[in-house]
Amino acid sequence: MSTLADSLFGVIENRISPIAARLSSQRHVVAIKDGFIASMPFLIVGSFMLLFSHPPFSETSQWGFAQWWLGIVKQYNDQLMMPYNMTMGIMAVFITGAIAYNLAQSYKLNGLMAALLALMTFLVVAAPAKDGALSVASLGGEGIFTAILISLYCTEVMHLLVKYNIGFKLPEQVPPKIRQSFDLLIPIVVIFLTLYPLNLFMQSHFGLLIPQAIMAVFAPIISAADSLPAVLIAVLLCHLLWFAGIHGAAIVGGILQAFWLSNLGLNQEALTAGEPIPKIFIEPFWQFFITVGGSGATMGLVILYLRSRSAHLRSIGRLGLVPGMFNINEPIIFGSPVVMNPLLFIPFITTPLLNAIIAWTATRTNLINHVISLAPWTTPGPIGAAWSTGWDWRAVVLVLFLIGLSTLIYYPFFKMYERQLLQQEAEMAHETLAEEMK
Amino acid sequence: MVKILLCCSAGMSTSMVVQRMEKAAVQLSLDARIEAVGMEEFRDKIADYDCCLLGPQIKYKLTDFQQRAAEFNKPVTVINTMDYGMLNGEKILKSALSLIDSHKGA
Repeated sequence: MSTLADSLFGVIENRISPIAARLSSQRHVVAIKDGFIASMPFLIVGSFMLLFSHPPFSETSQWGFAQWWLGIVKQYNDQLMMPYNMTMGIMAVFITGAIAYNLAQSYKLNGLMAALLALMTFLVVAAPAKDGALSVASLGGEGIFTAILISLYCTEVMHLLVKYNIGFKLPEQVPPKIRQSFDLLIPIVVIFLTLYPLNLFMQSHFGLLIPQAIMAVFAPIISAADSLPAVLIAVLLCHLLWFAGIHGAAIVGGILQAFWLSNLGLNQEALTAGEPIPKIFIEPFWQFFITVGGSGATMGLVILYLRSRSAHLRSIGRLGLVPGMFNINEPIIFGSPVVMNPLLFIPFITTPLLNAIIAWTATRTNLINHVISLAPWTTPGPIGAAWSTGWDWRAVVLVLFLIGLSTLIYYPFFKMYERQLLQQEAEMAHETLAEEMK
Repeated sequence: MVKILLCCSAGMSTSMVVQRMEKAAVQLSLDARIEAVGMEEFRDKIADYDCCLLGPQIKYKLTDFQQRAAEFNKPVTVINTMDYGMLNGEKILKSALSLIDSHKGA
């Protein structure tokens, strides 16, 4: 075990971690991730309203409460859907501005100006005005990859122009606010000259807007990212990184977020259209099923710690219980420690993988509803699972089952580790006793 | 007053450490302002604090953040893994104080 384990840990520590570290410190990756984070509150509230507008009862339900709710939804559908339409429905608008802002900040450019520039450009390519109206068709999930590319492009244009000092030179006496607005004139012109002809060409030759073309290019990757092997690879990578003491979820999740949001958009469109829900792999699926209690699905481990005979593990269990309910498990990971602990490596990796296989299959076979809404990642597992699947009680049962299963998987390894710690604790007690006897 | 910034992925787990550190500060009757933020806020916040402690899960950000903090002449370090896991506020507070002291001395 030891040589194999050592070489495996060596690979994680020396090869995977540095790559992940570099990737997640990369300026554009960081800007995209922070842009998503900034847009999240809008998306959570918006998708909550979508759920409210689609009560989890059938039209034929006899229950009075269900009929009352369905009646309200029928009568006020447009009014109820407005918060959804203006948040989730046009999420790419928020994301565009937020990514451009963050990237500009990292270049020490004016974030507000970059956000406005990117916003304008995004609307030009994604929602050309016609008969006094903008089409929102490409502003939701379909526009996400376009939002990323446009916001990076616009900010890079700004950055290059500043770097090579191209711009209007206004005299020093001009107030800074006015100078700033002049700074943007040339980038706007450059963007119109580059992207607008491309947009017109795409429309006249292929009848496609740029977002539709980009989605067509990304379609195979998006559908591949929803497959079980892709889910398992992501889970494995995340946990290998955590094992090396690096926040794997932040890195893997940062990269997956674009796919998660695009999948969520597709699911929500299907829901409003009354069609079967197509996608499985969305953030709540990861959060509440695969990693219930935090990365490594450590809820089961916390339960074991609480009743451990080792004083150390018992105190970690007590420290970790409440945060663990909200999917925060740093006390467990660093306090146990799980990080670089060969005894806990196997369950820490296999539990979330097994959870992923079970939850993916359960969703696929419609044993539980698909994820159709976002819940904050700190929502306790069973509640978050119900919330994000449109209040499906079967999702709650599944989460409770997965917690039980993780307890079982962790148990033998926990026992081995406990025995080791008990021995150490006994030796220490012995030594202090010997000290006192002197 | 001592001003200490803590930073982790989302500012969640470090906020638990902050509570413990604040308790320890009260016991030492030390006037301290301690705050936990997510990674994306580090850039805007560091100028206002005397030092920054990173959660061990984002130790890979250390060089990046040190460069940024150097512009304002502020020290950055990673919290000891075990102290972090055990939420040992007192030890982490003391190590922050000695970090600030040694930085001033240097």
